[in-house]
Amino acid sequence: MNQARVLYHLVRADFLERVRRYSFLVTLAAATYLGYCCVTGKIVIRLNDYRGIYNSAWLGCLMTLVTTTFLSLIGFYIVKNAIQRDQETRVGRILASTPMTKSFYTVAKSISNFAVLATMVMVMALSALLMQWLKAEDPHVHVWSLLLPFFLFALPAMAFTGALAVLFETVPGLRGGVGNVVYFFVWSALLAIPVSSLDTGGHMSDATYYADFTGVVSIMGQMQEDLHAIDPSYKNGAALTIGDTATTKTFLWTGLRVSRAVYLSRLSSLLLALALALLAAIFFHRFDPAREWSLKKARPDIVIRSNGELAPTPASPVQAPAHLTPLTRSSSGSSLPRLVIAELKLMLKGLRWWWYAIAAAIFVASLASPLDSVRDGVALAALIWPVLLWSQMGTREARFNTASLIFSAEHSLQRQLPAVWIAGIAVAALTNGGLGIRLLIARDYPSLLAWIACCLFVPTLALALGIWSGTSKTFEAIYTVWWYMGPAHHMPVLDFLGTSPESARPQLYLILTAVAVAAAYLGRRVKLAYA
Amino acid sequence: MKLSIESVSKQYRGNTWALRDFSLELRPGVLGLLGPNGAGKTTLMSILATITRATRGRVLWNDIDLAQNPDAIRKVLGYLPQDFGVYPNLNAVEFLEYMAAVKGLDASTSRRRIDELLNLVNLSDVRKRPLGGYSGGMKQRIGIAQALLNDPQLLIVDEPTAGLDPEERVRFRNLLSELSGERVIILSTHIVSDVEATATDIALISSGTLVAHATPEALLRQVEGKVWEGIVPSGDLQTVKQKYLISGTTRRADGVHIRILASSAPPAAEPLPPTLEDAYLYCLNTHRGAAA
Repeated sequence: MNQARVLYHLVRADFLERVRRYSFLVTLAAATYLGYCCVTGKIVIRLNDYRGIYNSAWLGCLMTLVTTTFLSLIGFYIVKNAIQRDQETRVGRILASTPMTKSFYTVAKSISNFAVLATMVMVMALSALLMQWLKAEDPHVHVWSLLLPFFLFALPAMAFTGALAVLFETVPGLRGGVGNVVYFFVWSALLAIPVSSLDTGGHMSDATYYADFTGVVSIMGQMQEDLHAIDPSYKNGAALTIGDTATTKTFLWTGLRVSRAVYLSRLSSLLLALALALLAAIFFHRFDPAREWSLKKARPDIVIRSNGELAPTPASPVQAPAHLTPLTRSSSGSSLPRLVIAELKLMLKGLRWWWYAIAAAIFVASLASPLDSVRDGVALAALIWPVLLWSQMGTREARFNTASLIFSAEHSLQRQLPAVWIAGIAVAALTNGGLGIRLLIARDYPSLLAWIACCLFVPTLALALGIWSGTSKTFEAIYTVWWYMGPAHHMPVLDFLGTSPESARPQLYLILTAVAVAAAYLGRRVKLAYA
Repeated sequence: MKLSIESVSKQYRGNTWALRDFSLELRPGVLGLLGPNGAGKTTLMSILATITRATRGRVLWNDIDLAQNPDAIRKVLGYLPQDFGVYPNLNAVEFLEYMAAVKGLDASTSRRRIDELLNLVNLSDVRKRPLGGYSGGMKQRIGIAQALLNDPQLLIVDEPTAGLDPEERVRFRNLLSELSGERVIILSTHIVSDVEATATDIALISSGTLVAHATPEALLRQVEGKVWEGIVPSGDLQTVKQKYLISGTTRRADGVHIRILASSAPPAAEPLPPTLEDAYLYCLNTHRGAAA
């Protein structure tokens, strides 16, 4: 079998395995929802008071930008499990025993990621077509104008995202939750770097095209340029806007002019994706557990003999007597506090000393720094530091395959679920305790209420998302974005910490906590055969 | 103490029936649930362990319906699933402490019990080693220990000897025999020798239906006078296999010694005393023949 055929089958099997999962339908629904948001005018491209007439060119570009900006974030989390899945299903070990090279495998996984994301791009392209028909501002469909931005910008961006996901899966330290959080900041930086060029009204250097992986600047820059020609008083404002979509004027935009720099920059995106896939091969451990690097130090208690063999399993005489003292039924009781402590231990077990050292430093800094700088700095760190502890809530039983052991125990819904929840709140209260103490001392009761709401809300959100999604990634991705927009940038409704009196909404977050508690309970109840 | 399984059926998506009209009544003792892969054993175990709900029928523990009151069975249940995981960062003691808390055992009882169980499953020496460093057999023994934490009246073990070395397998069989006094034990397996050593009753299951439920002696009586040994040249083996039901072959200098299951004596064959494996194969084959 030639290499191309092997590659085809590897990609095909991986693609089919993913798209036949229920979760894929959910992600397609999310892509459709984004399309719906554009159709209903919830997402628009605004150039100050202007927007383009909804013709094929404008709609193709609008949908492309929605795709590249949102799907490059959400899509990363969706596809960042290609290697993990092979590991979990043990298929990886079989693959590792074949002559397939590491680079071949990582390239195949990148292509598979791309195929999944490209399916979503296709949904968005169809949405663009539907939107033009629904909006009916220009009934003439120009298929090429509509699809060109998808080919030029969306597909290369998805190739880049897919390859980056494979790289993150192979690089030690980025494989798990840390990588999920780090990617958000990488994505923010990739988006932010070229955007400053828009202030110049679309006059860009060639280097900007290369830095513009989503195409935001390349597309909007041309729109700015064309609007300047129509209205010289235009002030260079340009944004892809959600929510605040009111525009008063429209102009006719006839479409992209594809320069050599645009072509070359897109080609460079594809080449960069290939380079990332090949780079991933360097870190890829080929499913060899002995080569898996961990932030945790090697466990000293696994004794390796000089000849490289593991120490034998402790043996015992075959006829050793089996003695068990019978238990009285009264030995059982409801021991929620014990279970909470057990869940807390489970949550914290395996953390290295430096995790505690940094958590302690954050706590001390919260006590010692001026209250305003705690709110804007240290408290934010305290809220992001335990994110990987919270994200395990509700997903641990599935991740470690202990569900059948735990859910066959008596009152598991009434005892184990509350125990996990309380343990999560305890972690929130401990890691953010410095701010709480300061607010109490300062008798700033409104802020203290917001702090309490925050400590209740965050772990409850984690638990609900963990139970419903079955993966820690959902909380890691959503929470990081929420934290960034809310507490870090004081967006009023999203500020769950209430970093300022203007943005604090404790009542809202107490209500959301109650909703999340109900969702978590319902989610677990649905998953249990007998509640 | 009584476990009643009444006409239980389980249907999965795609109109696949894992169990059909399965009925059984169990009293204290060890029931060996034998069946080929895909027979429905694990599905039945999951239903009894309250992990999966039956599509039809009901399960009663001491006449209490499991659907009405699952905790009636859960509080006396010890369950070792076929496929389970552990928390790799916890050591054996911590994991069992956690499971004891989940099962609602008080602290002093669980400490004493964990010590005894770790001795019993021979993991005392590695009690402080994180479970992530355990071999498959050691993890299986941790699974056995957690199943016994609450001194269960109903012990369900699904393929418990998978991954155990021969020595540990014998040890586990002995343990099951010793535990079998005043409790109901269900041992699900496709390894006949596990059942042979421990079971007081045997249930044969195939394609989701109960093929036979009897004592080992009664099953053996069914194949009395139906087991034969013949010697054939290697080249004739395929022809004989097409003609007879073969339960074993051994190559020797004088040819291949074959163990044949047949109602009448094949040419030049000598009668043999039956084993449980013969009875198992005979019953399954008869059932398949009847179903076809």
